[in-house]
Order: sequence, then C-alpha cells, then structure tokens
Amino acid sequence: MNQFLELLVSGLSLGGVYALIAMGFVIVFKATNVVNFAHASVVMLGAYLVAIWHDGLGFLGAVLAAAVTCAAVAALIDTLFVRPLRRRRGGVDTLAILTIGVNIVLATELTRRVGTDILPTGAPWGSATTTFLGLTIPQTRVASAIVAIVLMGAFYAVFKFSDWGVAMRSTASDPETAALMGIRLSRVAAGAWAVSGFLAAIAGVFFTSFPASGVSTTTYLVALTAIPAAVIGGLDSTAGAVVGGLVIGVAITLTAGYQDELSFLGRGLSEVIPYVVLLLVLLWRPSGLFGTPETSRV
Amino acid sequence: MEGSPGLRATEDSAMGRPSTLLEVEDLHVSYGGVRALRGVSLTMPERGIVAVLGNNGAGKSTLLRTISGVLALEGGVVDKGAVRLDGKALTRMDPADIVRAGVVQVPEGRRVFAELTVEENLRAGGLSSKGRANKAAARDRAFDLFPRLAERRTQRAGLLSGGEQSMLAIARALMSEPRVLMLDEPSLGLAPQVVERIAEIVRRISEQGIAVVLVEQNAAMALEVADRAYVLEVGAVTLHGSAAELAASDEVRTRYLGVATEDADAGLRTPQHGEATDRRQPHDLVVEGVTVRFGGLEALSDVSMEVAAGSTHAVIGPNGAGKSTLLNVLTGVYRASSGTVRYGDHVLTGRRPPRIAAFGISRTFQNIALSPHMTVRDNLLLGRHRHTKSGFVSAGLRLPGARREEAAQAELISRVADLLDLTEKLERPVFVLPYGDRKRLEIGRALCAQPSLLLLDEPVAGMNVDETQRMADAIVRLREALGISILLVEHDMRFVMGLAERVTVLDFGRRIADGTPEQVQGDPEVLAAYLGSHSASKEDSA
Repeated sequence: MNQFLELLVSGLSLGGVYALIAMGFVIVFKATNVVNFAHASVVMLGAYLVAIWHDGLGFLGAVLAAAVTCAAVAALIDTLFVRPLRRRRGGVDTLAILTIGVNIVLATELTRRVGTDILPTGAPWGSATTTFLGLTIPQTRVASAIVAIVLMGAFYAVFKFSDWGVAMRSTASDPETAALMGIRLSRVAAGAWAVSGFLAAIAGVFFTSFPASGVSTTTYLVALTAIPAAVIGGLDSTAGAVVGGLVIGVAITLTAGYQDELSFLGRGLSEVIPYVVLLLVLLWRPSGLFGTPETSRV
Repeated sequence: MEGSPGLRATEDSAMGRPSTLLEVEDLHVSYGGVRALRGVSLTMPERGIVAVLGNNGAGKSTLLRTISGVLALEGGVVDKGAVRLDGKALTRMDPADIVRAGVVQVPEGRRVFAELTVEENLRAGGLSSKGRANKAAARDRAFDLFPRLAERRTQRAGLLSGGEQSMLAIARALMSEPRVLMLDEPSLGLAPQVVERIAEIVRRISEQGIAVVLVEQNAAMALEVADRAYVLEVGAVTLHGSAAELAASDEVRTRYLGVATEDADAGLRTPQHGEATDRRQPHDLVVEGVTVRFGGLEALSDVSMEVAAGSTHAVIGPNGAGKSTLLNVLTGVYRASSGTVRYGDHVLTGRRPPRIAAFGISRTFQNIALSPHMTVRDNLLLGRHRHTKSGFVSAGLRLPGARREEAAQAELISRVADLLDLTEKLERPVFVLPYGDRKRLEIGRALCAQPSLLLLDEPVAGMNVDETQRMADAIVRLREALGISILLVEHDMRFVMGLAERVTVLDFGRRIADGTPEQVQGDPEVLAAYLGSHSASKEDSA
C-alpha cells in the first residue's frame, strides 16, 4: 500500500511536469490553431541550455536564462514560419506539418550537439529523498510539484485576469471578431508561443534531472509523450491539459514501479503507456476528456 | 452636451458642406476572382446616421470588412479604390490600427465571445483604448446605455438571449471609444420589439456624437433612424440620398419596404395538396408534455403539440421562447427531462440524432452549416451520405452497382435543385452564393436525405421581401411535389401565417396558443407576448 501511495504521489508530481508541456501545447493551439509538434524539441532545447549554462550562471540563473531563450525561440518560430503561412491562409494541416519539419531540424541539431554524452543539468536535488507522512518521495518530485503548482497558478491568474489573458481568450473564441475589436492577433499569437516556450524549458529541466542523469539524445522522445497528455485532456482545454498531464504522469510511474508484476507485457511498458492511454481515451471520447467536440452551434 | 450636436449641425449646414469623416472612393473588391464590389463610393459626415441597404449578396458586409481591414481574413482583395478617415488612407492598415484610428465594427450575427463573461467581453472591446480611467468611464457609459448588461455582468455571454447578445456586441464595440461605429445587420433574427429597442439605441449613440454606419436589410427600421442612405445592388450603389427621399421613392418602397405588393399575401397562401407521390409516407408527429431543463433553468415546460402527417405546421415565439430547444429535442441533439416525442409508431425521445434521421426526419440550421468551398452539387451529395450504399472500394472500382447508384443520385439532385431554383448554380462554390440561395441550398441538402418530415429552423431569418417570397414559393413547390410534413420554426409572422395550416406559439418555454393561423393571430396572449404590445415593451425597457 505504501509503495502504491509513494508511486501515486510521484506520479502526480511527474504529471505536473507533463501538464506544463501540455498546457503550452494547448495555449498555442487555442491562440493560433497550430498543433505544435516542434514543442518537444523546445523542451529539449531548454534542458540543453541549462546543461551548458549552469556552470557559468548557477542553476537558477541558467534555468531562467533558458526559459527566456526558449520563449524567444518559440515566438520566433511563430513569427518566421507560422505567421507568413497563416497570413496566406495556410490550413491547419499544413501548419502542423510545418512544425514537424521545425521539430526535426531543431531536434537533429540538438542531438548532434549532445552526441553520445549525457549532460548533467546541475540540479541541486539529485537523488536525495524526503520522508513525508510516512512516504518516501524523491526531492526532485517535491521540487517539480511545487514549481508546477506555482506556474499553473500564475498562468491561471494571468489567463483569467490580465489584459493579455482577455485578448488571448477572445482570439481563441473568434479571431476575426477579436481583430475587429482592435486586438492585435500577431501579438497574441507570439505571446502564446512565448509562454509555451517558457513552460517547456522549465519542464525540460525536470525531465533531465533525477531519475534521469542529464540531457541525452532521448530527451526529446520523453518530451514527445507530453503530446498525448494534451490530446487526452482535449486540445482546446487548458484544464484538460493539466488533467491529461496528471493521468500520463501517474500511468508512467505506476507501470514503471510495478514493472516486475507487469513483466508479462514485456519490458519498457512505461515508455509506451502514454500512447496506450491515449488510444483508450480517444476511443471513448474522440475530442479528449475536456475538449470541445467539432460541431457548430445548432 | 445636449445642445452641441444640434449647434454643430447648423454650423455645418451654414457652411454649405458638412465635413467628411469617412470616405469610400470607387472601391473594387473581389474574392478569388469573383467581384463583390464594383466601384462603391460613399461619404460619412462627422455626425449622423448613414444607412446602407441592400439584399443579401449585394456586398454590404464586404464593404464593412474592407473598411475594417479584415477582408484578407476571408480571402478578399481590394483591386482598386480607397477608404479614407479624415483624408488619411485606411486601406492596407492593420485592423487593430483601424480600430485605434476610431473606426469600429459590430459584425453581423453579433459574434460575442461566448465563453467570456459580459464584463470580459466589454474589456476585450476596450483593450485598444489607453488608460484605466478611460476604460472605466467607457464601461460605465456602456452599462448606462444597457442596464440589462450591468445586471448580467458576471454571466457568460453565450447564455444571454439573442437580443441581449446584440446589445453586448454594440456595447463591446463602443468600449474602444470610436468616432465611427459600423453596425452590420443589428436587427438580424430579432423579434420586432427588440428591433425597436436597437433602433432607439442607435439613435442615442448618434446623439453622443458618434457617426453611425448602419447596414441593414430591415429597410423600414434603417430608414426610420438614418439621415442619409445608400442602396447597394450587386456590388454597386444604385441609389442614394436623404433617408426621407429614399423612403418615399417607388423603387425602395416596392423592393425594400414591401409596400404595394398586396398580392404577395395571396402568393404566400398554400395551394391545396398535390397528390403525395412516391417517397416514404409521412406520419403524425406527436409531442407530449416535453420539459427540458438546463441546470435550474427550464427551457421548455410541459409542451405538447401535434404535426399531422403531410401538413405544414409552424412554431413561433419571441427570442428565448424555446423554439430552437424544441427542434433540438425533436432531432435528438438535446434530451428531454420528461415527456415523449413520437413519430408514427416510433418513440424519438432518448434516441440519438442518426437514429432519428433514419426515421425520415431531416432538419436545417439557423446558422447556415454548409461547406463554403465545395460546389452546390457536392453539398447536395453530402445530404445523400446516409443513402449511399456502395463503399469506398466498389465506388473506386466503378462496379456496376456503384455506377447505377451514381446515376440515381444525379437524377435526385437535379430534381431537388429544380424544386429549389438552384439548377443554374449547381457547379458554383457555395461561398460566392448570396444568402438567400445558401438558405435554399441548405433545405436542398436536407431534402436529399429524402425525409418524410422536414424541420426548418428560421428559413427566412435575415431575408428581405424578395428573398422571403422566393423561399415561400420554394417551400410550397416542394410540399406539392413531395407531400411531406414540414415543421417551420420562425420569427417572421407574416411568412408563417401565409404558409402554415396550424401554428403553435411558445413563450418562455410554455405553449401559450395552438390553432389555425386565424385563431392564433387573434389570441390576446399571443399579441402581448409575441407582437410586443406597448405595455410589454415598456416593461422590457424598465
């Protein structure tokens, strides 16, 4: 029982990290109607930058610098590639394929740089554990839970109460009318991409600290499993992204924790479990748990 | 403040020429080669109300889109001409900058941000203006003009009634403190008493010193409030002058005000049934004690009615009466909290939409749901989907069965197109069609499923006299030819009275009357609720 609870708590906090990535994915989709597959390589970029900068800037400084850089890179992807296509009325499918291209280019360059090394990110929490209510939890999970909750709270507040949040929600609801009300669509779009880049970098740091030992060529494959989280929750629902992230996090931790009992299914089940969950959820609810079904008003 | 507009006006006229605020000069616009505007010029003085009248498809919305700079979002291009504000060109400016320059538009169909609260909608409208105090003042003015919105400030806009959404859309646009406010069909789909209030509001906005461009199909309302008017036909201005002059001109009177067409009523009368030809037989549709609740809200309470097989039946009522809810229950989109709906021997309540469609019930939608880039023919083929038996493989291999089916499809489609007067337009993409044609096409698509009961959701909403007449003719034709039952949900009283054999009236989710058109027309409760007697409208504005 204790093992189960420990795995559950770990899973929820890992899920928080997935939720951060999935939220970025959803925000970009809502604001610009782009299914952004380049998101995975931005996660890896964030982790890579922390790995090469933490010696000079200290861990926190490196995380901050990496987050800001990733925000800028994401906004740049929007401005340079997505916006010109959108202006000429490129379809949702074209834009999604464009981001796959961007993802491959960015991920290839990052894997080339990382090579066969495993670059440590210098995270202060390492493999230490904390005992809490009789449960033994790795410190890295405590840190990720706190960071995820703080960022989600901050994001919710901005989304709900700031001018940018109102502009962003108006645009998501009806872009043409938002433009007619004087809202600058290109600015809202770049802002959404920047927020997603920022969140991606932070999530990247947690993906590459304990139990992982640093940034490696597989980092971006790990980040890719956050996309099922966004789809499970419903591509157009930020609350759904959080739930989807938590579901994926718990599923991964449980299958990894009980892998001996589950060995009849083969080894490495935890790596494919996000996609298994994805398939099951979509068979049951094709628009995700909280997504709006594709219908017009009747 | 009170005296200044008048003073200003006399000054202007004393100088002999009122100064121009907004000017459109020789504007040519096209969508992918299809010309929508062909040399439109108009001028908007610094104050007052200018109306732009015209049929659907005349280019009114295109004109406003061009002025607002959102033409490109719909794939339109300015080929020639200019739009100027204070002599400065707006063409090629970003829509957001045009709003900041002082020109804002209330788009057609209200388009409030449904997920946002009333207050957030207003905030979205004010994002372009500077300063906290300014924004607060603008919001107070909006609440002052629309006290109803102040009461509902924390509600989600999607939950407001149609009339309230119209007001929110106007209030939202006013938040940017515009110099020119452009309204695209503010009265579309609203009950008469709400239209009257919108007219009053437009007047008050104009009194505040804001220049108003009012694009309307409801010519009677527009000419009543406007100082000047332009008539747009097929992308060009055919008439312009003072509103009074236009209202008196024979052309406008017959074509846009529906005066001097006494025989129109006679034309709307349904002739006797033709013999029911092939097709599946229609059955009686029986609605018994249907109640629908959304949360605590009762959208329909204990509604009963009966649509006799082969008859034309109308459901009418003011905005928010529950008409669309009833239609959604009949088609299985909403679930009734209690009560039953039967069609012949089949119980419809509790069944899902595809099952109900399989019983021979088809519907159209209030908001047009067509695929704009497909041709008319392809849209009609979509309606055949349920009846297409040959699969992907047999169709791909062009097996004999698939070919026979194709020929039968083509035959049916040409028949439907003929009934609805769309034959010449079969190969055109939908987005180039005027509104009236699109609405008839939507009916055609429903007909392609060969229903025995056709449900029509506001088929003439937003149509002018001409188009309404064509729609009525089409409905009469198809009923004669097919002998099916038709259930109409409508606002336009005259249309319904001429067409239906029986009328059910809803108000606040209750059935308040049911009978022949003559019986219903004379019912005092109906008059009060629906036609907006004076006592009712007073209560409303209080």
